[in-house]
Amino acid sequence: MSITVFRKYLTDNRRGFLGWALAITAVAAMYSSMWPLMGGNSGLASAINSFPQSMRDAFHLQDYGTAPGYFGSTVFGLLVPILLAVFAVGAGTKAIAGDEEAGTLDLVLAHPVRRTWLAASRWLAVLAAVVVVGVVLLLAELAVRVPAEFTAISPAHLSAMTFQLVLFGCCFASIAFGIGAGTGRRMYAVVGGAYVTVAAYLCDSFLPQINGLHWIQYYSPFYWYLGGEPLKNGIQWMHCALLVGLGLVFAAAGIWGFNRRDLSQGS
Amino acid sequence: MPDTAVEAAGLVKRYGNARTGKTALAGLDLTVERGDVFGFLGPNGAGKTTMIRLMLDLIRPTSGSLRVLGSDPRDNAQARGRIGYLAGDFRIDGRQSGGEALTYLGDLRGGVPPTRIAELAERLDLDLTRRISSLSKGNRQKVGVIQAFMHTPELLVLDEPTSGLDPFLQQRFVEMVQEASAGGQTVFMSSHVMSEVQQTCHRVGIIREGELVTVADVGRLRQSAHRRIEIAFAGTVPAEVFQELPGLRNVDVAEASGGGSVLRAIVAGSPDALVKAAARFEVISLLAEEPELEEIFFSFYGQGSHGNGSKGSRS
Repeated sequence: MSITVFRKYLTDNRRGFLGWALAITAVAAMYSSMWPLMGGNSGLASAINSFPQSMRDAFHLQDYGTAPGYFGSTVFGLLVPILLAVFAVGAGTKAIAGDEEAGTLDLVLAHPVRRTWLAASRWLAVLAAVVVVGVVLLLAELAVRVPAEFTAISPAHLSAMTFQLVLFGCCFASIAFGIGAGTGRRMYAVVGGAYVTVAAYLCDSFLPQINGLHWIQYYSPFYWYLGGEPLKNGIQWMHCALLVGLGLVFAAAGIWGFNRRDLSQGS
Repeated sequence: MPDTAVEAAGLVKRYGNARTGKTALAGLDLTVERGDVFGFLGPNGAGKTTMIRLMLDLIRPTSGSLRVLGSDPRDNAQARGRIGYLAGDFRIDGRQSGGEALTYLGDLRGGVPPTRIAELAERLDLDLTRRISSLSKGNRQKVGVIQAFMHTPELLVLDEPTSGLDPFLQQRFVEMVQEASAGGQTVFMSSHVMSEVQQTCHRVGIIREGELVTVADVGRLRQSAHRRIEIAFAGTVPAEVFQELPGLRNVDVAEASGGGSVLRAIVAGSPDALVKAAARFEVISLLAEEPELEEIFFSFYGQGSHGNGSKGSRS
């Protein structure tokens, strides 16, 4: 890996990366601060409990009345992971495919930089950006934990949840990065990343409700992220390994393909 | 040094698959010696940029062999460290200042002294503190010129380098190439600008449809100063008068839209006979310009006129 490339990629994109970190954190903090209203609201809890079981399963509304249940279904349940996936897919796409289509990759690769090193350095820079989002998010959650009255979730469990969230983001960043590096086409990377995101969500929420399709959730990165309920049970190492493994496969295949193919000149 | 700067043998490059693919290089053989300043000329789409991108390992040959500075360019980062490359449409991320960009690119080469960058910037009159996105195309191209020259590479690979520069800077650029040549650096340059090629290159190669048509000495070219001329006459003139003249080629006399007639031709050598012949008629206007170099070549070698294809994504 090239430290020069890694550092340069982060500085060039610092505004975008920090912007996303703050936006995602703001959404999470907003949801979190609504907990006192929701948690103490027995009417709402009983209303949700009267929903059909399959619907509650689909939306992770199993125990809306407890803090881990509420946070699992709202803060970490849908909007934050989806936003993070969107950010990760975008950043992963841009790292090689975006630069190549803009026609600016030729210049760097005419320099004495190995293609594999360049790709690996930028991939790691994107992962670092996802980690930054996670860290900012975790600090904000820890800061509002007492004022927003969700001390029922321990800092360790919050950290475990954020850790798996970061791995989830890294997985999607790597998928889009790999497709983009391997093909050089932004469109393929974005569509591929979005497709896997949506498929992962559906496989974890709606499809398992169909009779005989319950097993499908075990193949969903979304399930690997949230299914083990890290807010209650801490880090699920098996799920973490699956997220890391899937990301590594895409990133490695992408870098391998990138090293072998012709670069396009951009348009 | 005994080895050559660039050596291509039977170099073939095809893009795409067998059905929709296009052959950009069809067995190119070319040798450029160290210390040479080689002009690489040809119409758009002839394969100039393909050859240059092959030299930098941005694309890989379909078959044939290519050696740059004595080694195969493939996965050869070390060899790229000894090359300076400037693309005709130099493109760079605009979210940084020229200074930041050049420092970064220098770092990729193991570091280039800031004084060297500052000196080149001053010479080209470039403000290094401005964001690249706020620079004009010409100023952006200057960043490209500096990054190609700043590490004093053994081989300069320049792909239509002055396309965005004004005449003053083109002259500066010519000086820089001349100095590089005097210092023993090898220059491989594709160009459309006749005067620039004449001032810098020792030899020129003409490429057409992916094959090298000819290689010639620029000294010889300079002697045969070709001009494309266009003379508008008030009345009608007989074409035969001009067709018989020595040193006049591609003679064409056409009716002008507003009456009268227009003579178009290429003059080799002295225009004396032509001027005297034209003096017998009433001349309204006279235009003489340097034709593109490859145009001369094709008239020279009787290859006929070449298509004026639009610039494709690959050329």
